[in-house]
Amino acid sequence: MGITSPLHDLHEKLGATFTEFAGFTMPVQFSSIKDEHLCVRNGVGIFDVSHMSNVWISGKDAAALLSKTTIEDASRFGSGKSQYTALTREDGTVIDDTIFMHLDDKYMIIPNAGMAGPVTDWLKKQVEAFGFDAQVENVSRDYAIIAVQGPLSQKILQKVTDVDLSKIGFFACTHATIAGKKCILSHTGYTGELGFELQVNPAENAKVIFEELMKVGKEVNIKPIGLGARDTLRLEKCFLLAGNEFEGGRTPLEANLSWAMHWDHDFIGKEALLKQKENGDYQRLTCLQCTGRGIPRHGMKVEHSGKEIGVVSSGSMSPCLKTGIAMAYLDPGVVSLGDTVDIMIRGKSSEAEVVKPPFVKKDWAKTH
Amino acid sequence: MADEVRDDLKYTKTHEWVEVKGKTAIVGITDHAQSELTDIVFAELPEAGKEITKGDELCVVESVKSVSEIYAPISGTIKKVNEDLEDTPEIINENPYDDGWLVEIEISNKEEVNALLDADAYKKLL
Repeated sequence: MGITSPLHDLHEKLGATFTEFAGFTMPVQFSSIKDEHLCVRNGVGIFDVSHMSNVWISGKDAAALLSKTTIEDASRFGSGKSQYTALTREDGTVIDDTIFMHLDDKYMIIPNAGMAGPVTDWLKKQVEAFGFDAQVENVSRDYAIIAVQGPLSQKILQKVTDVDLSKIGFFACTHATIAGKKCILSHTGYTGELGFELQVNPAENAKVIFEELMKVGKEVNIKPIGLGARDTLRLEKCFLLAGNEFEGGRTPLEANLSWAMHWDHDFIGKEALLKQKENGDYQRLTCLQCTGRGIPRHGMKVEHSGKEIGVVSSGSMSPCLKTGIAMAYLDPGVVSLGDTVDIMIRGKSSEAEVVKPPFVKKDWAKTH
Repeated sequence: MADEVRDDLKYTKTHEWVEVKGKTAIVGITDHAQSELTDIVFAELPEAGKEITKGDELCVVESVKSVSEIYAPISGTIKKVNEDLEDTPEIINENPYDDGWLVEIEISNKEEVNALLDADAYKKLL
């Protein structure tokens, strides 16, 4: 068994089945992936995402360190703001994607599961290399992380917090008290729905928060949600999963993160990325919706006119659309929106259309 | 809730069930298998007329997150496949022993029937 969450016993009581993910043993589902998925799209679900990492960056040059090591200029974000970004190597490939939260004079970053060590080491190396006055501290095991997601999340969370959630803008973050326990609250998530994430320290306080949310959410049938539905929810919204979309070394340009690129600052990998952008000759992450039968999965080849043009990085059945959906890295200049490609599923080709992200549009529940 | 095992069927260690009717065998997956797989969303069935050997991959069923191979419990020729599974694969979850059957096989080697597990032997595996 891998590292368990501080909420492990509670998950067992709630009937979870578990999976190993990046060295952690986490709930993959409680009732059914489909039901949990639709519960978040239509109502509210509660996730334990304590497998994600927590790293504090502090000191006079904290913002400078973050800016130097990510595709974002951290100095643009005042205290109480957070932002999605990516750390890149000299060659422009992504080490990890993360949210950073600016809280008072410090920054908390949330590297992916199992990435706390590599990211902390990388940042410390840059502190030395560039002589920054900054401290980097891996506090992953001191924190539990809870996400409350879905159109009813705000209503439910408001019942147990002193913070006026209507005043917390999208991607804002603040210190808060939830169910009598202190935490960091941010208006963020990985589902594409209205939602909040809570960084809880000490980690054992997460149990009280989780149980209290389950209690006050009972009237709207709140459900605990496992990693299975977390994955299908994010895929429908075309959010990246580091282990899939950055596998083998992918740059932010390849991974469709141009919108998150901030070019007006100096950062590690900038030169390589500018060159790649100018050159244009790189595979791009492309959204494919199946029109044929079959479910695309990670690693399946994509063909066009009998020629291999790329590979699926993430694929699944979409519980909302009830079709197969995939994100795939495809060669440049071969297909455009509306074109048909073939996904090779166990030796047979299955047709899919190139579509615009996201697969499931905003406020899906209102129209279904 | 305990998984249902029907006394009148034969079973395999890999959680397929077989109903032998003279020369033909109807094949599906057990209640235990469907509950382990959860939320079946796709079934890829063989074509009628195909010859298969015991132990070969018979078909593939997929849940939201996983892909599982189903093995031929018996050698023979595929006579019929359950076409309802094309549009409603979830009937395997709802009714694994009746509406959720997978294929009908014309048995080529009757001896293989004797090697299948009876209900009591299968129950011991669960």
